Amino acid sequence: MSRWKKLLACTFIATYLGFLSWGIVGHALKVGICGNTISYFVVWDMFCGWNAWDNRTHIIAEGTNGEFYDVREPWGEFHPFGHVARIHYDDGKQLLPRHINNILKRTEHKDIAQVYVVEEVWPKQYNLPPKLFDHYFGRAPDKLSYFHLQTVCRDDGTLLRGYPNWYTQQTLNSIADNPRLQQQTKQATSFYNTLFTPSSSNSGDAMSYSNNSGLVTN
Amino acid sequence: MNRSSSATSEASLLNQFFFAEEVPFGAALVRIALPMAAAIPMVLRFPRVRELYSTDGCATQLFELFGQGSVLPVLSPGLAIPLYGIMLVAFLCSIIGLRTRLSLAVLVVLYTYFNLLDGVSTITKYSVIATHMLLLLSVSNCGDIWSVDAWLKRHHSKTGAVIPPRSAVWPVRLMQLLFAAIYFGAAITKIQTAAFFSGEQMRYWMLSNWNYENPVGEVMAMWSPILLISAYLAVVWEILFAFLVWQPRTRVLMLLVGAAFHFMTWLTLGLYVFPAICLACYFAFLTESDFIRIRQFARRYRMAAVLYWPVAAGARLLNSVPRLVPAHATWGCLLAVGAIGFAEVERQLDLYGTNAPPGTMVLQVMDPIVAKTMIHKEQRVRQKDKFFNFEIGTSTIGGQLANRKTEFEFGDLMIAQCNMNPPHEDMWVECVLQDSEERVIERFGQFVTREMLRANFTYKFGTRLSAGDYTMVLKNANQELYHRDFKLTGEPPLMTTNQDLLTN
Repeated sequence: MSRWKKLLACTFIATYLGFLSWGIVGHALKVGICGNTISYFVVWDMFCGWNAWDNRTHIIAEGTNGEFYDVREPWGEFHPFGHVARIHYDDGKQLLPRHINNILKRTEHKDIAQVYVVEEVWPKQYNLPPKLFDHYFGRAPDKLSYFHLQTVCRDDGTLLRGYPNWYTQQTLNSIADNPRLQQQTKQATSFYNTLFTPSSSNSGDAMSYSNNSGLVTN
Repeated sequence: MNRSSSATSEASLLNQFFFAEEVPFGAALVRIALPMAAAIPMVLRFPRVRELYSTDGCATQLFELFGQGSVLPVLSPGLAIPLYGIMLVAFLCSIIGLRTRLSLAVLVVLYTYFNLLDGVSTITKYSVIATHMLLLLSVSNCGDIWSVDAWLKRHHSKTGAVIPPRSAVWPVRLMQLLFAAIYFGAAITKIQTAAFFSGEQMRYWMLSNWNYENPVGEVMAMWSPILLISAYLAVVWEILFAFLVWQPRTRVLMLLVGAAFHFMTWLTLGLYVFPAICLACYFAFLTESDFIRIRQFARRYRMAAVLYWPVAAGARLLNSVPRLVPAHATWGCLLAVGAIGFAEVERQLDLYGTNAPPGTMVLQVMDPIVAKTMIHKEQRVRQKDKFFNFEIGTSTIGGQLANRKTEFEFGDLMIAQCNMNPPHEDMWVECVLQDSEERVIERFGQFVTREMLRANFTYKFGTRLSAGDYTMVLKNANQELYHRDFKLTGEPPLMTTNQDLLTN
């Protein structure tokens, strides 16, 4: 192996190992890797948490004539890893607007007034086959799905209104269900001072009003 | 003097570790096996290239998921589909070893590009591992053996030498170090996830249907103690891997446990491609001496005969190629044919039905009552859905009930355990002991606060009960949620009374 080849190999080895180490150290200490796409290639968080509830996303379009449509690809849903369609893997709802737009612009339907994105949620124990469910829980499965409106969009997928997802909403509800907290929340008022700021104090203005020579009317 | 010699010895060891020369048997096997595994999901996505990776669909880049906007250019279908075809041909060229290094370089670029382009349903950690490995293969000499390149080299040499060439092992060492880093990083993730060590997260993962079918996982999900023990074993193995996989005595054990681990992820979690890719990469741990030992073993038991026909067929095919056909040109033509061929196939598939008669691509009308219920009528969560299960037994492992029992004896300590489905509010949960005629014998309760994943109630069978049938009922918010019937057997212990000493 020539000297130059070895030098290049050593550089490659050092760079590569440095890259791997950055991922591990950053991930362990939780520094420098947040919101960084490159970190996805060196952070090994294959097990980053699964919750107790399963969920699916339903998209319902409401026509101007009052009809409702199931917004689903007529050319067939794409199932990337099993039998669950691609849209259900869109946790952050980044794909959603494009998905809605892509389907609505390629399908025949009446004019659309609004598009509703509804989350369906159920406890994961109901994923067991009925026979196993009966064996473990001693009763027949009586699965009940909970539906939760998450987003309202235009027909091009543009967001009109958004709400917390079901899981966050339940967590918030469980915290807010406390009279003492509710009382404290009522007493606390958010305040943003536009009249006085520390920087205006430094410049010698004890109380500053807009400097427009007596033209302040109200 | 001693310090200097020690430093020299360490440098020499490091030099030996990275720059020892071996025939790249392991790298060649990875080159053949890995693209086969990594190509499966990409081939399955081919009919959807237009939808997933082009301007004619809804590509969502990984960069967007991290809030960094559209960094990569999204190409029109006219460019994206031929490029995708080139990537699939590059997979094939890497497997057969035709212009190996160049094919792998093309593959690294295109495979990474298409993965990054679909952050929702293409890129996963297995594709990240495959990207690393393809990059390392592209700087290795994996095409020196068992490849069309090697055959061409031999074919064109005057001597027709068959001695396999040796090269520095550093690319293979980096592959091995990559796996040590992966397992170590995965262990850190698990250590930072508290619910992993109580078995809850493994249970919920096994009950999820986000991957492929996992019937074994569904059965195992209810064996909490096994999940708990498996969780600890997995973390210990992941941490030890980096320290023991290069030790001659423990190397095989570490790799066998690793293979078993990945096999179990297939069986219990429904992961198909992930274990296939990882096991393909395990060939990187195969050394030259390992291979020679395996070859001797195979020859001794005439196992090599299995390969006779494929090797003979391959040799006949290659020998039929005229000497004058230049490899570069052949490779270029293959890529061009792939690009054009796949573009034509995709056009024929007509994903969006542009050539279909009107009325084909119609949205399905929904029942307005169903639609309005889904949109506007949000239901309160049933109390029973806040509980995963309720079981009775006598012992626990790591806080999880280890045995489910329906029969108890006097003197036993019954543990009644309810597992919660978070999120739930702070609750008062009760256990009610009833006899066979539903008369309440005892009622005891406790607060289950919002962060709790389970609650245990203990009941000692002393002298108050007589043998017979009973039921333990779990109650919350005045609702009976679960019933567990059990039988109490045996004789109640005698009361030790000493009447002579009664003074008060």
